[in-house]
Amino acid sequence: MRQRAWQDLIELNKIEEGDVTKVTFGTKDLAIYDAKAGIFVSMSRCTHGAANLCDGYFDGTYIECPLHQGLFDVRTGEAKAVPARVALKMIECRVEDGIIQIYI
Amino acid sequence: MSYEVRTPITQAMNEGAITRKELKQLMTRCNKPAFIRLFLWVCTLSFSSYLIWLSFNTWLLIPCMFLQGVILVHHFSLQHECCHYTAFKTRKLNDICGHICGFSIMLPNQHFRYEHCDHHTYTQLKGKDPELIELPISVYKYLWYISAFPYWKNKFSEIFRHLKGQLSEEEVRFIPKQEKRTIFNEARIMVALYILILGACIFYNFWSPLWYWWLPVIIGEPVMRAIRLTEHVGRPNTDDLKENTRSSLVSLPMRFLCWNMNYHAEHHYASSIPFHALPKLHKKLKRFLYIEKRGYFGAHIDIISQLIGKTPRNDRP
Repeated sequence: MRQRAWQDLIELNKIEEGDVTKVTFGTKDLAIYDAKAGIFVSMSRCTHGAANLCDGYFDGTYIECPLHQGLFDVRTGEAKAVPARVALKMIECRVEDGIIQIYI
Repeated sequence: MSYEVRTPITQAMNEGAITRKELKQLMTRCNKPAFIRLFLWVCTLSFSSYLIWLSFNTWLLIPCMFLQGVILVHHFSLQHECCHYTAFKTRKLNDICGHICGFSIMLPNQHFRYEHCDHHTYTQLKGKDPELIELPISVYKYLWYISAFPYWKNKFSEIFRHLKGQLSEEEVRFIPKQEKRTIFNEARIMVALYILILGACIFYNFWSPLWYWWLPVIIGEPVMRAIRLTEHVGRPNTDDLKENTRSSLVSLPMRFLCWNMNYHAEHHYASSIPFHALPKLHKKLKRFLYIEKRGYFGAHIDIISQLIGKTPRNDRP
């Protein structure tokens, strides 16, 4: 089994400022949030209907699903409004030398 | 992830119609445009109510109630905006306003929200879109739909079903299990309030709700049915947003009444964009979408032409 390690995802200056950016890492669709509280990374699909959250409305803290308006807190992944009930899977991340890295 | 759900916005961005930056700008939510419009709305309703008051005991009462009804049934447009959480900045305000609008036209807000979300997911797909209005088979059926009789029949049976704590097969598909109770309670509270108001009317012999609210809504609903026909009816039953939805260019008063929802194809492309930004989105997307330049009237000409065989029916493969 492969050991988890910090891996480069994308340069910080390439993400949408104050918004959500869609990134593919291997076979995984990820969402990078330039939130008020910092940078966060999650799986990009809504846990309710599997729509890509990167197409939704992001207010700096919460991301809204573009299909059914389910709501998630991007700092914790917590589902904040129905029909979303299951939390988003968050991926640990950090910024090193201007590069966003994920622990995966 | 192995599964792919294509959202309309994804389609728009893939086709180069709009960038994420532009989208972000257009999606910005604020209260001011909705409050300004609401203020004008209250003024308009007050004026039409005044006309009803002036016209009592004259033949003008019916036209005045019709005018009031046309405004009241457009509460649907604001409720629709609220169910997307785009009318106001906060979810709470959108929910409150959505419930009030829904109460005024007997359209429970949460139920409508879930039904409408599925409509956006499966727009115009037969057997999947819960709001699908099929292209009528004849002009008679078309007029029957516009009469609003089938609409009210459906709404009353829906609300009684929820009172009894039941869902139809179709509703089971789009209402999350955990939300069933909310849907039933919503219907029960709504009916209880109607009964309370009716009881008060009888007890105090005070019939203003009948003349200023219920009768106007019933008289005005055919207008809303005719408008709702223009959104998708007569467009192909495909998941391609360039084809399955019709935007109609209409006059300023109509845009005011429908909260810009005449830009319906634009709304379907990006339902997270508030009503006040739809004209801007229209400028960006108009070459990608089906636009009816003759407005609602032109949309009905298109529908009737298909019904009488003047043009091919768009619901045939």
